[in-house]
Amino acid sequence: MQCASCYYKGPIVPHNWRELPPFEWSPPNKKCPSYEYFKFRAFSPVGRGNLASIVFDDPNFPVTDSLIKIVYTCTGCGTCSEICKAHDPWTVIWALKEYLTSRGIKLPNPLPKLFANIENCGNIFGTEKPPPVNRNIPKKGRDVLFTGCFMRFTQPNLIETIIYVLRKAGLNLAWLGDEELCCGFLPGQQGDIDKMEKQAQQNVKRLREAGASRIIVSCAHCYKALRDYYPKLIDTFPFEVVHISEIYARLIEKGKITFNKKLQKKVTYHDPCFLGRHSKLYNEPRAVIESIPAVKLEEMERRKQWAYCCGSGAKAISLCYPDFSFSISKERLLEAKEKANTVVTSCSSCVLQMRRAAAKLGVEIYVQDISEIVAEGLE
Amino acid sequence: MCVLSSILSDLKNIVGPDRVSDSPEVCLAYAFNPFWGRDVIVRPDIVVLPRTPEEISQILKVSNEYGVPVTPKGAVGGGGHGGPLRGGILLDLSLMDNILLIDTVNMKAVAEAGCSFFKLSQEVFKRGMLLPTAAYGSGPSVVASAVDPAYAFGGTRYGGNINLVEGLEVVLPSGEIVRVGSMAYFDKEFGPYHRYITGPDLIGLFTRSNGAFGIITKVAYRCLRKPRYWAFNAFAWPSDMLKECTQAAAEAASIEIFDIHFNNRVRWDFKSEGPKIPENLYFVLTFAIDGFNELELLGREKAVREICESYGGTYLPNVGEDFHAVWPGDFLPEEKILPPRSTLPAKIPRSYVYLFDELIHPWSWMPQIYEKMARLCADYKLAGLVVDGFVLNNLCSSTQFTISLNDKDSDAVKRYIQCRNEFRKWFLDKGGTFQYRLPPYVPDKVWANQPDTLKLLKRIKELFDPNNVLSPGTFELFEER
Repeated sequence: MQCASCYYKGPIVPHNWRELPPFEWSPPNKKCPSYEYFKFRAFSPVGRGNLASIVFDDPNFPVTDSLIKIVYTCTGCGTCSEICKAHDPWTVIWALKEYLTSRGIKLPNPLPKLFANIENCGNIFGTEKPPPVNRNIPKKGRDVLFTGCFMRFTQPNLIETIIYVLRKAGLNLAWLGDEELCCGFLPGQQGDIDKMEKQAQQNVKRLREAGASRIIVSCAHCYKALRDYYPKLIDTFPFEVVHISEIYARLIEKGKITFNKKLQKKVTYHDPCFLGRHSKLYNEPRAVIESIPAVKLEEMERRKQWAYCCGSGAKAISLCYPDFSFSISKERLLEAKEKANTVVTSCSSCVLQMRRAAAKLGVEIYVQDISEIVAEGLE
Repeated sequence: MCVLSSILSDLKNIVGPDRVSDSPEVCLAYAFNPFWGRDVIVRPDIVVLPRTPEEISQILKVSNEYGVPVTPKGAVGGGGHGGPLRGGILLDLSLMDNILLIDTVNMKAVAEAGCSFFKLSQEVFKRGMLLPTAAYGSGPSVVASAVDPAYAFGGTRYGGNINLVEGLEVVLPSGEIVRVGSMAYFDKEFGPYHRYITGPDLIGLFTRSNGAFGIITKVAYRCLRKPRYWAFNAFAWPSDMLKECTQAAAEAASIEIFDIHFNNRVRWDFKSEGPKIPENLYFVLTFAIDGFNELELLGREKAVREICESYGGTYLPNVGEDFHAVWPGDFLPEEKILPPRSTLPAKIPRSYVYLFDELIHPWSWMPQIYEKMARLCADYKLAGLVVDGFVLNNLCSSTQFTISLNDKDSDAVKRYIQCRNEFRKWFLDKGGTFQYRLPPYVPDKVWANQPDTLKLLKRIKELFDPNNVLSPGTFELFEER
């Protein structure tokens, strides 16, 4: 049925006569970023679902540029599937991408080049020489940091920050460094599951050789890939995968991370789509932020399962449709700005997207990764 | 320049280039398909997103000039409403979603056509009032709720939502913008205060018209005061006591209980969580009971209990409360209706919930209606029959039946269609009517029981819309022109 809950304005269910619907049934008005931008039903989850049901059953359905645009402007934020458990539109759209890929379509630019870069260089940037990381980090160990190529190339200082914080807490991480390859999330999310599987096999082999039993991930996309997709793609996946915010929360609880500094600032927290909605990790980052002395966490209206996309759109939107991407970022940044002058998040893609958008759009807000605010509290 | 290009150019001049599309894929998302399947695909040629009645007025002038059909549509296509029968221009009214008035003193609300019913309902509720709530997903638009056959929770006391509609703003096929009922006074100091203004009540002309007489752009509702006290009770009967169950509901409806809902136990059997119905019980009545003070509530609860127990009903703790706690269609068996998937995650068999026709019939006929459908489903080997019955204030029922069906199983689909057709014939021969007027889904015989009405409607249609541009399939006129 086509109830349109996935994108139509208003709550999913009405009041229950005594009171308004609880938070989990009452998403804010704007639900689907691509519908809000493009306005036509085809760009809504149910619209894409309609198209999927037709395309799946017709091997000769013409794959036009218009169809590609409709399918690939889905940000993958997953709000629709949070609303509609029955039809799970996000998974349908993902399956549609997989199907179209299997038909050999031409993906929107620059995805083909990025996928070739992964093939040739092991990362989406197409270079074998990433920026240096000024820490002497062992390559083998039980606890292995998985940075992902996006963080490795765009935010190398964040790797240093993570190592600094965890060493202070007595946790010595190993890191594959240049041996670490792209996790494959980007091609996987865009429908090229084979490419993700290939990356999974290579990364798992290298992690095994490094003696890893626990993998610590900071990027929400890598985290989702390693925690939930790799075990489905690899016969034996003998690793525990934890997000950096989970590690911080545990170390704070055990008293191994103690803060020396009062930060005296108000922050808001942006739930990355693939850490929050897709992985259901809502509480740990908040617990970490709230444990830093004098930090006041002000929540946005759209938070947790209703958090709005930052505009990165699993990286693909920012790369393929920058104007659309910045329009989403603008909305999210202005929403954050209403609550605080600092927005903290837990994904390197969100961090970079929001920083770039804030600079481009002139929104005066400081964007911080969770590791950075933790490090700030330690200094 | 070809005709399509000329029309596109004219439409873009009216609403701007970003709100017009003739992309086949964009248009396909508006195709006439009442399920998330694709039984019938009829794609509009052009989709337009108007923002004002004035834009709609100009669009209709263009459509008359070229003789192109126009079909209005909100966001929801729950029953396939608003889909075009054949090409033409589709107006997606979703961008017209503003709430224009909530008057807590005079208890009125006015919203634009594309505003979701739930959005309006929430805003009204926050201000100490309420509207009977539709039982659909996020809710259709305020227009669809009003003029389509929306029977909501609260229907046992208030009937259909249309009974609370007091005024409409409509763009006629000619492009004229008119306001009927209380909306005639929308811009006066009194505001939209009374439905029955001078002259006949013209709201009815647009009710159930499926957009054939005009495109509704604003709706004025009369709101209800929100009662402070509520109770949600449920009673159940064994499978051989459907008649007693029905009689209990009729008696409770006659004392104006806020809402009474009827189901068989399958609804609960599908749910993995929540209260269960005891094995020996099969038919369930769920009551929403309200009171403006505690004494009133207790009195009504007591009356309902006495009625149900006098007909052999068994009180079910927690079931009623759970039923009304939130109102999604949460009985749908999630794992059974997922669409096809590829390699990630694991493949899940394709299966959907299939809806039979939605029926209107005297409530007293429920035992025969249910037994006929259950027997036919058994004969045709169709499983998972769920019945949903809204007991209405005129002692009729708005009843829908659903089954679970794998639509890749062509034999099962064939049996489903045979079962449906056999039931339809039986039901129509009794004089039954359908909630939906959905060509080509609902059979031609839908008008068979009211030929004079159809004749009059056709004459009105010819007067209003001589070029037959608005929702042209609605009164079987498509084939004639």
